Amino acid sequence: MAGHDNINGSTEKSSSSMDDLPTFNAENMQNNMKVILYSRTFMAIIGGVIAGILGLTSLTGFIFYFLVMAITSAALTAKAKFSIHSYFDSWNRLVLDGFFGGLMSFVLFWTFAYDIVHIF
Amino acid sequence: MGAGFLVGVIGVLILSHATYSTIQYRALLKITEEEFSGPPIDVVIELIISLVLCLWAAMAAPGKFKSIHPQSEENRVIALPANLDFMIFNHRGKIFPLETELKLK
Repeated sequence: MAGHDNINGSTEKSSSSMDDLPTFNAENMQNNMKVILYSRTFMAIIGGVIAGILGLTSLTGFIFYFLVMAITSAALTAKAKFSIHSYFDSWNRLVLDGFFGGLMSFVLFWTFAYDIVHIF
Repeated sequence: MGAGFLVGVIGVLILSHATYSTIQYRALLKITEEEFSGPPIDVVIELIISLVLCLWAAMAAPGKFKSIHPQSEENRVIALPANLDFMIFNHRGKIFPLETELKLK
């Protein structure tokens, strides 16, 4: 919608809407997303191994994953010095990004550690 | 970077030791024919320690966040070629021969 307005509106209007649009440093944004992805994947793997050693099964393990991800989100917030909007454009970036990819890694290492400890 | 990575390695080592302890505990339970109802307390403590260490490593190792605001302190870059008012062409360098054609050969 904003782009449509920019095309049809006069130059004066488009320049004022350019001022309204938030501008980000895209390169640093990419860097921040990459840092979050690394942290989340690593914590998902470690959480999976811990869940496997503890011998969690079915729903308990997934609740444990949510717990680990909540701890990771809190730690990332603390790492961003509680000023999210100077490092990310929204909270969803911090809380949701890499969640499902991390879930796949979690399940893989969960079953791996469970098999090693409890089955073999 | 280095310290965070080292902490992560220590955390993973503690984790592998916890795995080994749990395997031995399972073997002990198989001998005494008891049911497994959870790992022993020292393994749980090891797991908590390794979780904390790995959380630290996950925060420290991948790098720092960078500010995305264009007007923030670390993003402020003074681009000299964009400063066209101060470009000078009338200097003594103009008497030297142009070597652009020589480079083309």
